[in-house]
Order: sequence, then structure tokens, then C-alpha cells
Amino acid sequence: MEKKLSQMKYEEKGRIKKIDKSLRAQVAGMGIREGKDVEMMTRQPIKGPVVVNVDRSNTSIGLGLADKIIVEVER
Amino acid sequence: MRKVLLMGQANVGKSVLFNRLAGAHVTESNYSGTTVDFAKGRMRLDHEDVEIIDVPGTFSLEPKDRAEEVAASMLKEEKGALVVCVIDSSKIERGLYLTLEVIEKGYPVVIALNMWDVAKGGNIKVDAKKLEQILGVPVVPTVATRGEGLKELALRMKNAVPADVEKIMKNVGVKSGTHN
Repeated sequence: MEKKLSQMKYEEKGRIKKIDKSLRAQVAGMGIREGKDVEMMTRQPIKGPVVVNVDRSNTSIGLGLADKIIVEVER
Repeated sequence: MRKVLLMGQANVGKSVLFNRLAGAHVTESNYSGTTVDFAKGRMRLDHEDVEIIDVPGTFSLEPKDRAEEVAASMLKEEKGALVVCVIDSSKIERGLYLTLEVIEKGYPVVIALNMWDVAKGGNIKVDAKKLEQILGVPVVPTVATRGEGLKELALRMKNAVPADVEKIMKNVGVKSGTHN
């Protein structure tokens, strides 16, 4: 099932399917690229950032960016 | 005076490495900007005094905030500098991104695979020799906090050369002109 990275639930895992072109270069340096496995670690309240685990390291991403990243989640 | 820039992402041990390398030669000057600091010192490299600069941590050379802007512009201003790319060995893929950006810009590069002990402890095996073959720049495992590998790092700084991007692409099996 596809969903936005911003919509993933706590501890949910998936693989990044599509990243909006406008932010591809911006998140690549953080290890977030298409084809990468991600796990949702924390979701900060009040439209705060999400923290995801990629390659055994945690990275926080603003909700606005996470909205533009599509993930194929495991079920 | 020749300059050596320590570059890498945040939290990979650049400053520890800096303190170790600058060591006794420190004629320390701490520059405070509004949002970021960087430190300068001196070290002896191949019978020559060089200035070593601890650049603020950055994810990439396309800056997203003030600290990253400083890092990117420092690199840009120091055209003739040698760059030591510091990577957290346990998060190597992430670190290589910035390293490749620096290589692409044509700077002579040495890679310090720092936190080698952490990677080992996490059962992450990195083939430093193979990486060196692929990239064509010196790659040295280090544990800055314990001073391991620093002598070799300093020794190999003089072997730093600008890497051949076309060659790297060939080594990893990408046809030139197809990236990006």
C-alpha cells in the first residue's frame, strides 16, 4: 500500500517509492533516496517533524517535506 | 600557507580529529559567527606548516541553513585547499554523499573513516581498500577519540589528489552522462 511518509504510523516500515523532484537533492544528503527502507520512529506533535530510521540512523524530516515523499508500506 | 579543511556531516568527530591533528601546534583562534563557530589551528605536514580548519558539519554542499551555508562557502573560498572528508563508518553511505560532492568539485581529498570502532561494534564491515580503489583517493580508518589511524591519515594527506569522476563512474559501472 502506498502512503505519504508523513502519514506513516509509529513503528511502521516501508520502502521509499517516490520523492518529489523539488526536494530530492535536499534530502539525499540525509540518506533519504528512492528505494531506501525506512521505519517510522517518532512523530512529533503539533505538526512537528517526523523521525525516521534509514540505514540504522535516525533522521528527522519536517512534515512539509515528509508530505512529498511516497512510501510503499509493508503490511 | 596551505590549508586543510576538515569536512563532514554533524557528529562524525571532526572536532575531535581537529584537536588531535592540531595538537601541540595550536595557535588557536576561535571565530564566532552569529550562528556558527569554526576553529583554526596549525599542523606540520611533510615538513611544512599548514593551516587546518574545522568546518561546521553539513549534510551536503547545497545549503539548507546558515551553518551549512558557511560550510559550503568556506569550501568555495579555499580553492587550493586539501579536504579531509570525515565519515562516520557506521553510517558510511550517508557520509559518502558529501564526500562525492567534494570530489566532484575537483578538490584533492583524503577520506577518514572515523568511528571505525563503532562500526566494528555494530558488526558493520567496511572494505577501506576497495573504497580506495573505487574512488582513487586515500581512505584511512580512524578512531579519533583514541588517536588511532591519525598518523597514517597525516602521512597520506600528501597523496591526496583530485579524483577522476569518469573513472569512479566506470568503477561502479555507471555509464558517463547517465547520472542525474
